[in-house]
Amino acid sequence: MEPGYQLIKEQLFFRKELVERVHWLINLRWAVSGVALAAGWIAHFLDLSHPILPLTVLFVVVALSNILFLAIWKRLKSREPQEVKHFVVFAHVQIAFDLVALFCVIYFTGGIYSPLLMFVLFHIILAGILLAPLSCFIYAAFILLAAGALIAFQEFALLPPQPVLFQNVPFPSADRLPDVLALYLTFASGILISTFLITTLKASLRVKGRSLITVSRKLDQSNTKLTALYEMVKEMGACSESQGLIDSATRNAKRIMGVKGCSIKLLDDDRKTLRFCSTHGLSENYTAKGIIDIEKSPVNRKILQGSFFTIGKIQKDDYFQYPEDIRKEGIASMMCLPLKVEKMIFGVFCIYSDIPHYFGPDDVNFFSLMADLTAVAIEDLKRELNKTWFLKKAAHQLRSPLNAIRSMLDLILKGYQGDVAEKQKETLTRCKKRLEILGEVINDLLKLGLERMVAGETAFHPVDVSPILKSVCELHGARASEMGVDMIFHMEDSIPEVMADEKLVDDLFTNLISNAIKYTPSGGKVTVVLAREKENRIRFEIADTGIGIPKSEIPRLFSEFFRAENAKAFSEEGTGLGLVIVKEALDRLKGSITVESTPGEGTCFVCYIPIGKPGNEKR
Amino acid sequence: MGTGADILIIDDDKDLVNTIRIILESRDYSVRAAHNGKDGHGAIEEKIPDLIILDVMMSTDTEGFDLAYKLKNSPQHRDIPILMLSSFPQKMAEKGPESFQHVLGEGWPVTEFHEKPIDPDDLLEAIEDILREENRI
Repeated sequence: MEPGYQLIKEQLFFRKELVERVHWLINLRWAVSGVALAAGWIAHFLDLSHPILPLTVLFVVVALSNILFLAIWKRLKSREPQEVKHFVVFAHVQIAFDLVALFCVIYFTGGIYSPLLMFVLFHIILAGILLAPLSCFIYAAFILLAAGALIAFQEFALLPPQPVLFQNVPFPSADRLPDVLALYLTFASGILISTFLITTLKASLRVKGRSLITVSRKLDQSNTKLTALYEMVKEMGACSESQGLIDSATRNAKRIMGVKGCSIKLLDDDRKTLRFCSTHGLSENYTAKGIIDIEKSPVNRKILQGSFFTIGKIQKDDYFQYPEDIRKEGIASMMCLPLKVEKMIFGVFCIYSDIPHYFGPDDVNFFSLMADLTAVAIEDLKRELNKTWFLKKAAHQLRSPLNAIRSMLDLILKGYQGDVAEKQKETLTRCKKRLEILGEVINDLLKLGLERMVAGETAFHPVDVSPILKSVCELHGARASEMGVDMIFHMEDSIPEVMADEKLVDDLFTNLISNAIKYTPSGGKVTVVLAREKENRIRFEIADTGIGIPKSEIPRLFSEFFRAENAKAFSEEGTGLGLVIVKEALDRLKGSITVESTPGEGTCFVCYIPIGKPGNEKR
Repeated sequence: MGTGADILIIDDDKDLVNTIRIILESRDYSVRAAHNGKDGHGAIEEKIPDLIILDVMMSTDTEGFDLAYKLKNSPQHRDIPILMLSSFPQKMAEKGPESFQHVLGEGWPVTEFHEKPIDPDDLLEAIEDILREENRI
């Protein structure tokens, strides 16, 4: 019995099944005793003679016992923790009880000739399923003994013979012994063959069941890992700058792979050095070197050619550039993979364990997947940042020589290279001025270019516009007073937030306010109003007492490089892009702008910005 | 007023370097120049200057900061004041620490940002202030 216990104990799966099956057995007994009682009495009324009274008593006893069984089952089930052994014993008790009851029924229905004899097969099946193979054979033996005893008792008249069910024929007499023996032997072989079949079948089912559990467990683990990988990729996707992304990668890799440390090294532009860009779990000392010379590290060289590298036990010194450091760190095994996208390799992703031979083929496959996804995320972000990189680089390339020229002009004008004649001074000052304007055109172009490039791709968030307006006004306030222009603010309290981006709002306010001050002669006035309008929008109004805009020029006011004639005459400074920036900012904010102007008296711009719900722009 | 202090300019724009040199030499500062981070570092090793004027971007976006942090992390060089030249000094001062600190280390290395284009008077004043501070310490 002991091996039987072990086998069942091992698997929670089978234990649960045992508990349920035992309960099922009890329920079955209700049905059987009920049906048998009913069948018996029906048969009795149909005048089929058989000893109805003993049978009735028997089935009533069975039913009563079943109540007891149910109580016991409930008791055993409620125990914490459940003892498998108890259920097994209980199963034995029930099966034994049933067999005894069945043999009584068999006796009363004709002994060895009873048609109900075959019902013992049910118990073989039950024993085979619920109990160990050995138990099953033991019950088979018990059945054969009982059957033999039954024959013997009836043959030798130790028990009164009973009429055979459905046949109304008395039990055959002693001279039929060979026939009885033949019958018995046939019966015995049937029982034994069934026992053998059922135990063999069950054994193979159990094996399959066990391997299914193993596979299921592996699948669960795999699932967990893949879910973790998915979360890691999502986190990387949300990063908006490279370092954050790489840090997130190393942190998650260390956690998911369950290792001591992790690092990402990226190839420098010269493709000759690898630089530690992010590490987790490694000491300062190890990463302080910062740079690995590829010439000196065959391992990294091989990885950068595309192969992966696992080492079960760090031994050979000549693989690494800094072998001592690796040992000191406590690293016993490591796995390194190239970071590559479309055949282009740009870095190395390593994980380190303090346990030798930690990484198996499954780990290699999984980490491979992780490295590829990480590489894609890094490359994607780089490309996204690259889109704006070109514009920014272009602006820088334009600004640098411009700044150098302006500094050199200043040098001359301030007399550092000798005296400057008046006429020369005038000309050089004009140069300075033109260059200044050129600088502003470059800045505006960059701003406009970037805004157009990222439009629709940046996520808006709730922005409080009041502080932004305040700071813009402060910044321009000084200039305004220098120019003799008075600035007046009316800002309501508790202006609601709008869905926007701080830079966008800043550009909007800056350009309009700067224009107002620029085109208002000394002694004039600029009025700035910020208010909440109705339930769903805010109003930003800026009015000046400046030169105004001719009606005929208003339609073209918001087009690129357009400057009204009177504006050009009043001030040469102006890129013609400021209002384009304003208009496009309002478009993105889903707002609108109106302009009213009287030449010579002043202009008033009114902007409406809706108080939106999240999701104004897609990401 | 010049003090004969030794100033090292590191910037890849030769015109700008020349302009600054003329301005500084007019006040009797002694001026050395380098046009990239590597040469700059070499010049510092040769002789420690009293002040470094450093451009933010040269051939790569972070060359200026790379050098600045390298100096900060080296004991004999960490106390050299650095005046950084940038087209957008305000943005640099805000954005700089986040972008670079975690990669390159602790300790913001820049003493002061100065705006381009250079105004000679402003530049001289800034340098004077820094050198005065340094001598006080």
